[in-house]
Amino acid sequence: MKKFPNRWGEYLFIYPAVIFMLLLIGYPLIYNIILSFQDVDLSSLASGDKHFVGFDNYKALAQEDGFGISVWNTIVYTLGSVIFQVVIGFLLAMFFSMKFRLASFLRGVVMISWLIPLTITALLYKFMMGSGEGIFNQMLMSIGFIDDPIQWLSNPDIALWSVIIANIWVGIPFNMLLLSTGLSNLPEDVYESASLDGANWFQKLTRITIPLLRPVLLVVLMLGFIYTFKVFDLVFVMTGGGPINSTEVLSTIAYRLSFNEFEFSIGAAAANILFFILLIVSVIYLIMINKDEEA
Amino acid sequence: MSRRKEWALNILGIVFVLIFLFPVYWMIITAFKSQSEIFQSTPTFWPKDFQLTSFIDIFKDNVGQYFLNSFMIAGLATILVLVLAVPSAYGLARFNVRGKNPMILLFLVTQMLPATVILTPLFIVFNNFHLLNTYWGPVLTCATLGVPFSVLILRTFFLGIPKELEEAASIDGCGRFKTFIRVIVPISYPSIVVCGAISFFFSWGDLIFSMTFNRNQDLWPLTAGIYNAIGRYGIEWNDLMAFATVSVLPVIVIFIILQKQLVKGLVSGSIK
Repeated sequence: MKKFPNRWGEYLFIYPAVIFMLLLIGYPLIYNIILSFQDVDLSSLASGDKHFVGFDNYKALAQEDGFGISVWNTIVYTLGSVIFQVVIGFLLAMFFSMKFRLASFLRGVVMISWLIPLTITALLYKFMMGSGEGIFNQMLMSIGFIDDPIQWLSNPDIALWSVIIANIWVGIPFNMLLLSTGLSNLPEDVYESASLDGANWFQKLTRITIPLLRPVLLVVLMLGFIYTFKVFDLVFVMTGGGPINSTEVLSTIAYRLSFNEFEFSIGAAAANILFFILLIVSVIYLIMINKDEEA
Repeated sequence: MSRRKEWALNILGIVFVLIFLFPVYWMIITAFKSQSEIFQSTPTFWPKDFQLTSFIDIFKDNVGQYFLNSFMIAGLATILVLVLAVPSAYGLARFNVRGKNPMILLFLVTQMLPATVILTPLFIVFNNFHLLNTYWGPVLTCATLGVPFSVLILRTFFLGIPKELEEAASIDGCGRFKTFIRVIVPISYPSIVVCGAISFFFSWGDLIFSMTFNRNQDLWPLTAGIYNAIGRYGIEWNDLMAFATVSVLPVIVIFIILQKQLVKGLVSGSIK
């Protein structure tokens, strides 16, 4: 029975996936950074003339229509989505943690909203948020909550929040699921002794549940931030960044520059800014979970 | 818990889920409505005139081809993910190779990267290798979504398998690879299926990779097809919702079959 030479066999298990990720993620990542300091558009891509231009692309990006607002929108979008997702997800996790018969089944079924392709979710909300035929306006008007239809996606002051609403719907189940797991790992005897001491529901929530759940809450917040910050599909399909840049985010502006205007280098610069912010948050996140494991 | 409270909680839970999933219901029934019924000022919550014309319309409009493409892209990407991720996760759980922690870190970090960062460079690279307008562009890139996720979930799972199992197999004269295929893979089957399903969902939902790397409509998956149809169909919401329903169907079917395992797998993959 011939065995693999010891180390080589082990590397053969591990390395193909690592090499695959380095080739398809690592290499493009570095390429993208280089690209953002070169001058590459459709014509120089064909001719192969890529000279370095320093920070010109970043300067051009800063002057780009809609860039400033796209940074702001990305932040508002992320914070708005994450805060509501976590709060609602937490309340639902508390609700489903009461051990009634259908609890775990119902909690599972809710996951459907997370699994639907974002393109479809975006289209569905676009339909429901239609100003005349949309069910949202029809319902709100029939209960007399509003007199005139809300221009969910065509009013620049509202459009970003309309996309946030759709994103909250998508994200609730995932947050709920993680928080449910966190809740089920809390020690029950603490609650019992608190009850004996006469603590009420609200005191238990603020003095026991939330402090004990803090590490899980932090992880959920950070993961939510990371996954929301790179939003593309929802915005792209629901509004395409409009009206008048009011929903433009970093990833849509990067895409538009690269693939509609074929300014590859300026698009790369926009994507890099997105990457850089995410990198910082990811590093903080990784340090956090590392500390958690040591503790 | 008192009986009355138990009832109240169950009913409350059901009501919440019905409201929460109303958009999905609304999508499906709209697909069966006529155009005039959709534009009535009072909405109908069940189609007055139940019709299949929207489904017939969209299948005349190449939806069959899109569906097949989605299956090809998601299916191939899933196979690629499993072939790469299962051995890698096993190796990272069992072997003491140098650089193990950086490699685990690599998978953690790549999971968090935005697609937009790799899009432009890969467009240029794929262009040089003549991979634009083939299935391979989206297949390779979609696999990058599933690989890190699966490696991390499966590694946690493999760490939990007692080592005695492999030791027994190696006494029986199985080499490392044979042990892996004959012993480890069969007992890990449920976890592998979960990773496969989740990778399939990731790829099934992809829009940006297909849209960027394939300008050829005949290779588009459902997501790209539907994005393109939004402009062309305008306000023919019944057709669009029929299109959406067809796109969601496989996801819902797989979800119903694997619900319990999926929920468990998602939790362990995200927290650890």
